[in-house]
Amino acid sequence: MPSSPDKPDAPQRIAARVELLRSDVRRLADCAERLRRIEAELEEGGAAPPWLRESVRAHLDACAVAAADLTEAEARLSRYAERLGG
Amino acid sequence: MSGRSRDHAALLRAAACELVDIGVTIHEVSTHATTALTESAAPGAVVRAPAVAYRAERALLRAVTNVQGLGYAFTGGPLGSLAARLGVLGGAESLTVRVLATSLRLRIAAAAVEHPELRDDPMLTRLVEAAAADRDLEAVRALRALFKDRGAVRTLSTLAPIFGEVLALRALLDENPFNDEAAWLIATGRGFASADPITGLGNRAVAVLDTGEGAARRVDLATVESVRLSQRGSLLGFLRNIGLLGTTGRVLIQSVEDDEGTTRHVVQAPGMRVGLPDDNSPQDLLGAFSSAVLDSSPYSRALIRAVEDYGVPRGEELALIGHSAGGAAVMNLVQDAAFCARHTVTHVVSVGAPIDFKRPADPRVRVASVTNQHDIIPTLDGQGAGTCFDLHPDWYVIDYFDPTHLFPRCHSMEHYIANLADDLPEARERIDAELAPYRGRVVRSQAYQLFDRAPRPEGFPFLTVPTYLAETRDGSVELPVRCQDGGSLTAYFAADPAATAALLVSTGLGPAVRVGGRALVAVHASWNRRTSLGEYHEAHLGVVVPDPWRSRSIRVWPDLPRGADRRRSGSFLAGSVVDTAVVRAVAPRLWGGEPYVMPVEFDLTGGAVRVTVGELTDRVLTLTGSLGPWVPASDRDLVAYARHEGATLRSCVRTRGLGRVHLAPRVRLVVGRSANPLTGRLRELGLDGARPLLCLSTITRRTLQEACVPVRTV
Repeated sequence: MPSSPDKPDAPQRIAARVELLRSDVRRLADCAERLRRIEAELEEGGAAPPWLRESVRAHLDACAVAAADLTEAEARLSRYAERLGG
Repeated sequence: MSGRSRDHAALLRAAACELVDIGVTIHEVSTHATTALTESAAPGAVVRAPAVAYRAERALLRAVTNVQGLGYAFTGGPLGSLAARLGVLGGAESLTVRVLATSLRLRIAAAAVEHPELRDDPMLTRLVEAAAADRDLEAVRALRALFKDRGAVRTLSTLAPIFGEVLALRALLDENPFNDEAAWLIATGRGFASADPITGLGNRAVAVLDTGEGAARRVDLATVESVRLSQRGSLLGFLRNIGLLGTTGRVLIQSVEDDEGTTRHVVQAPGMRVGLPDDNSPQDLLGAFSSAVLDSSPYSRALIRAVEDYGVPRGEELALIGHSAGGAAVMNLVQDAAFCARHTVTHVVSVGAPIDFKRPADPRVRVASVTNQHDIIPTLDGQGAGTCFDLHPDWYVIDYFDPTHLFPRCHSMEHYIANLADDLPEARERIDAELAPYRGRVVRSQAYQLFDRAPRPEGFPFLTVPTYLAETRDGSVELPVRCQDGGSLTAYFAADPAATAALLVSTGLGPAVRVGGRALVAVHASWNRRTSLGEYHEAHLGVVVPDPWRSRSIRVWPDLPRGADRRRSGSFLAGSVVDTAVVRAVAPRLWGGEPYVMPVEFDLTGGAVRVTVGELTDRVLTLTGSLGPWVPASDRDLVAYARHEGATLRSCVRTRGLGRVHLAPRVRLVVGRSANPLTGRLRELGLDGARPLLCLSTITRRTLQEACVPVRTV
């Protein structure tokens, strides 16, 4: 069970969460790249169903928005960790 | 299917598989964000920097609820799971779910490339589109239209290749939070669908209803079955044996010997038995279900007991072949590390069974799985023809389709045998090559009846009695005679007193019990369907006589209903007929006297009776008609007296069963034209055309008949 941030090591634990969120932003970017590649390969192979482009576009947009949300959250959480540490 | 189509299907499956990976990554991202949100909201920390904490919380909350980003993405931990379920109830979706839905749609598209009927069928397309677009009402209407147009069987058969995908798609997108885990498992291929993808009712909750330690009893195959058993080991031979056993709750174990004299053993397990959902057979519907979803089931435990009873010596090799539920059950055996430690299982061949998430305890076991893509049973674990996962790179998997799309025909053992024999020669040869060590001469075969739990001895406790062998002129037979199931009729007639008196001369019995100045005579017939002497019919003519030593007729009436152990009155046998030589041979030991052997028919159905003695051209009697109204009564024991070689013999038939007393039977006895002496006796008694005063009938009963005992009456 994770320890609560009101314990003495709270700044470190929140900092670890910040790192995780930072890495997740990169993973979302990687997901978007893989989605683009999937679409391209199916199109190239002539196997793409007619609805695929719209679906992939929606997923790409969602990944971009999610990455922006997480970046914002990571920045806010980072400031919070600094304030607790200070 | 053309090479281009095959390439398209492969591309679509590869894309679906990668989308699963992306969906899982997004799920992990959502879990991290949810955890950060719940951890950072702890009161002790918040009070130290409330404004900054609030802004961090607000940003995290937005990240896991933004419908344009991760969607409603609460997940992980008690709070996250609760919030996730509430969100699903409210119709909220996450990006993970949307990506997995796309993966499922690609799987359906791949299946449609291989099954053009899925793509070209507007009704199916409508269903899939509605499910993918989360239009519940439209999906239900589309399914209803399919059922109405095609019927349930054809609809399920058509849907079979994409059955799991359509269910998972619906489950992912609907507002029921309880089926989400099952949908997740189907979509990601990470385990057996743990619940019904429609309702969310847990499989294990259903499977635990199927309980029992499992039991197996040796049974003999009927002659017609024994002669058809395969006498050499081969894939088709073993499968034909399974087809021969049918869904009768039986399994077969055979031993085969190769040219070097090495003996190996083959367990052959059929599928689900048709009948009650849960009777005492582990091959019932619940048994099939629990075999598929659990690692150990009454079926697999009963199979273990059969193998132990068969006596496979330690170290000798064993192959397991199963169809349908039998395939799942034999996979359970090979998953059982203790079983595999006792026995050297080398091969498993599963046909038409949901075994995708079963794993042999010993990875060296060679597994072959044969499934028809239109057979819905193998898809019950959630992975069917549309699956994009290579779950068993080390197995030999044949997932094929043929023009027969109709379920359950395409699930039948006979259909799989025909496909392997005619359409899949390469697969058959490959599996036969794998089974090469088992392709020797069959040196032993033993069938077993399987049970959820050890069955009571039949007829317990009434028929659980000591037995002994008695010599007859045709050999020895086991006494007492135990009848597990039989039916009977006793008809009482008013007969000519002078004729009955003549029958009783010098017997020390009688005079006959009188009714209105006439003598009481009984005609008794029974059909002993399952006895220790086999099936047989019998018919007796008896004169009802009182206590041989206190022969005042008035005392007989309260004595007649007593049990055999207290009854003194009885019927003096004036003639008996049986229809088997075995019973004729033992008759002098059972009731004395020599019965005639001729055909006896007995039919007691729908409140009417038909008894005939003798063939049509040699008829002794016919007793037919409606038995009329009745009152219930326990079946009465039978007590008979007979004369044999100058002695009087008393015999008893003890009975258990519910009987009926018919007080106004509309039955008539017609005496035939046979030359048999019994015909003349019936006429002398005035019974030709007579109606009985009273009838006692029993549709089903058990009886116990001891040897007769001599008594001195003269």
